[in-house]
Amino acid sequence: MEMNTLELGPIKIKNRLLIRIFSALDDRLGLREILNDEVFEKISPAYLGLWSCFGGITFFLFINQVVTGMLVMVYYQPTIEQAHASVAHIMNEVPFGWLVRGMHAWGSNLMIVTIIIHMAKIFVHGIYKAPRELNWVTGVTLLLLTLGLSFSGYLLPWTQLAYWATVVGTETPAAMPYVGEYIRFAMRGGDDISQVTLTRFFALHVMIMPVTIAAVIGLHIAQIRRQGIAGPL
Amino acid sequence: MTTDAMSGNEPTRRGFLDLALGLLGAISAIGVVYPVGMYLWPRVDKKEGDETRSMKLPVGDVPIGEAKFVRFLNKPAVIMRPNEQEIYALSAVCTHLGCVVKWNDAGKDLFCPCHGGKFDVKGNVLGGPPPKPLPSFTAKIENEYIVVAEA
Ligand code: FES
Repeated sequence: MEMNTLELGPIKIKNRLLIRIFSALDDRLGLREILNDEVFEKISPAYLGLWSCFGGITFFLFINQVVTGMLVMVYYQPTIEQAHASVAHIMNEVPFGWLVRGMHAWGSNLMIVTIIIHMAKIFVHGIYKAPRELNWVTGVTLLLLTLGLSFSGYLLPWTQLAYWATVVGTETPAAMPYVGEYIRFAMRGGDDISQVTLTRFFALHVMIMPVTIAAVIGLHIAQIRRQGIAGPL
Repeated sequence: MTTDAMSGNEPTRRGFLDLALGLLGAISAIGVVYPVGMYLWPRVDKKEGDETRSMKLPVGDVPIGEAKFVRFLNKPAVIMRPNEQEIYALSAVCTHLGCVVKWNDAGKDLFCPCHGGKFDVKGNVLGGPPPKPLPSFTAKIENEYIVVAEA
């Protein structure tokens, strides 16, 4: 029962080897069904324009952050003695280090921009309304997590800018009545910014928040898939 | 479907475009793999003793009856003076599975902490799993300096 052409939605495959590999996986995992239900049936409606792309662009930038972040972490050293020197080493000595770290730093800025555009579009078109209110909630959670990732990443190069930005950033919540002082203490891991602060920001930046944000992104996308993309008003 | 370009018949527009697309894909892939590979490939800082075919150190650095561990030809090495006349230099990398051997002051010989290999000051195996003696270097004393060189 060897097929000559494999048709998957709009794709036609003629290569025998590819057909056999696909069939083997299809028999075991039901790949065709997944592809049909989740990909080909869900091709975006034609009326969606550029402004509908910013959620997807943000997701793409997030993947960029994950990949370049992994690469930067190969050389970065999270200690107050070595942090700045290791970043300088990445920028000046490691081949293409300037590119990798540049993509990470610029990507984070771009992510904020694309999130704001995405959010503005949702707001202006009123598509946060019923039944999509929970999407707005996960979306705002993602915005806050992205800001948290930006803030924690900002300290890691351990430059004057990074240090004082973190002084200010941890001082700000201290203005809150009653709880503020405790929040500052918890964020700094003590009264001052020290190795403890750098270590907890590093843990937040490379593990705690990325894992959390990946889970919330999954939820955000699952909601869209369940409800379908909102049409124009 | 038009005819597949791979079947070797008339070239088709589709076949050409498929090929062009494949080439573009390959170029983009190289554009990612090359910088990432270069980025990840380790660059070792040269340490003292690397790349030198011989090394020199003051006689006083290795007292009689003791051993001194140095770095020679990119690897750990050991210099030993069991008495006034004799001096030996050996690779300190165990011939069993590559641990660095230690000086055993009690027996005036070398032993490997990983699986208990034992060597004498000339590098011969005295016991344990190592299959071969430790490679040796030439060592001699020339006007108050110990000179170690490849044998
Ligand atoms: S590595 Fe030295 S005895 Fe096994």
